[in-house]
Amino acid sequence: MKAKIIYIALLMVVLPFMLNAQCKGFTKKECIPDLKPYVYNGQLNSAVLNEGDVAELLLTFYSGQDYRILICGQPILGNLEFRLLDTDRNVIFYNKDHDFVKFWDFKSNSTQQLIVQVRVPVGESRSEIVQSGCVSILVGFKE
Amino acid sequence: MKIKWFLILTIGVFIAACNNSGNNNGDEDKNGFDQMDNLEHAKKVRKIFYNVPSPIEMASLLQRSGAQYVPDILNSPTKQPDYITLTKQALNLGVYGTDLSYVRLFDQINMSIKYLQSIKHLCDELNIPEAQGSLALSRLEENIENRDSILQIISETYSSADTYLKENGRGNTATLIIMGGWVEALYIATNIIVFEGELSSNEIVKRIAEQKYSLNNLIELVKSYPGDKELQTYLQPLYDLQKSYEKVEISYTPGEVVTDKVTKTTTINADAKVVITKENIADIKQKIATIRGNIVN
Repeated sequence: MKAKIIYIALLMVVLPFMLNAQCKGFTKKECIPDLKPYVYNGQLNSAVLNEGDVAELLLTFYSGQDYRILICGQPILGNLEFRLLDTDRNVIFYNKDHDFVKFWDFKSNSTQQLIVQVRVPVGESRSEIVQSGCVSILVGFKE
Repeated sequence: MKIKWFLILTIGVFIAACNNSGNNNGDEDKNGFDQMDNLEHAKKVRKIFYNVPSPIEMASLLQRSGAQYVPDILNSPTKQPDYITLTKQALNLGVYGTDLSYVRLFDQINMSIKYLQSIKHLCDELNIPEAQGSLALSRLEENIENRDSILQIISETYSSADTYLKENGRGNTATLIIMGGWVEALYIATNIIVFEGELSSNEIVKRIAEQKYSLNNLIELVKSYPGDKELQTYLQPLYDLQKSYEKVEISYTPGEVVTDKVTKTTTINADAKVVITKENIADIKQKIATIRGNIVN
């Protein structure tokens, strides 16, 4: 019995790291190449999200700089939604209007703080097991 | 029997881990963002990320602002052996990343090699595996004549380091690298200004003022690692810098947003007005020099 308790405790400790490692490996292999020809900003924004979860990225868009925002998720999660908002939460771009496209390019004629918001859709099935998977928000810029 | 128990426990824990969505109550909308109000959004935000311009982006911004090459203000690559603690090594890995990106823009090949060697040593000291970082650095030495290849490999090196560190629960170290790079870039910017003509039309002055936004993101990033006491010691100096930036006014008026479906590009036309004085710049310069001094000395 003692051995079983130790095993459960170990598994509970190790499992989040296993899920996270799986997530990061996915991003490097499946997502980063899609940023080309933009230069990856080198900051990995990845998390394991469940259905209905939202993740946000706050970043500064500099005037005159071209940016690519790439949203990448494991196929099990379906079509990820992403929006670009200003700090007053006005919607600048919504990928639902563009067939849930994975990436979009942006340029701004003035420097401003913007928010990239990503949402994992809720599936049709009412299964007890909630789908979860890796979601990454990547940023590229043109030198 | 033991194998049966192993399987039952493993599946049980896995289901528990997969079904840990506290936000899912079975009444979720299926219509996406547009059916959710702000309060509902706030409840469902599982993760917030903060990005700060990378060393390459900062160097690129400086170059496009007409920056001059002033090598004397950079941190000497020969100081690398002086950095003994992991915190100093990570911070100066960021510093050298900015310095390398800066000298590369001015085609300073010999200096690039020197910074490259120091970066390679620091990656080794920080146990960033060769396959993730140092191997790319070796390729940089082979491609040192090619400016575009250098860019690609600097980018690979720093993104691989960031990935490796975050994968291994060392996001705090990745934050130190980002902070070191940002501090060095702002230090360079405040030391290469030439005050000619109208202050409001000086591109480097504008870039310095605009760092107000990135400083806020950096502070949030640092705050997200409360367990790293050494990282937290930089919080107060950053707050002090933030106070100086409070005197810098940036007013923003939203304008037309133009989306081109063919090129998949959205152009955000907005008007931003920056109000900054020479005194503000002097104040920022003094504070960033103090922060930078604690990093490189």
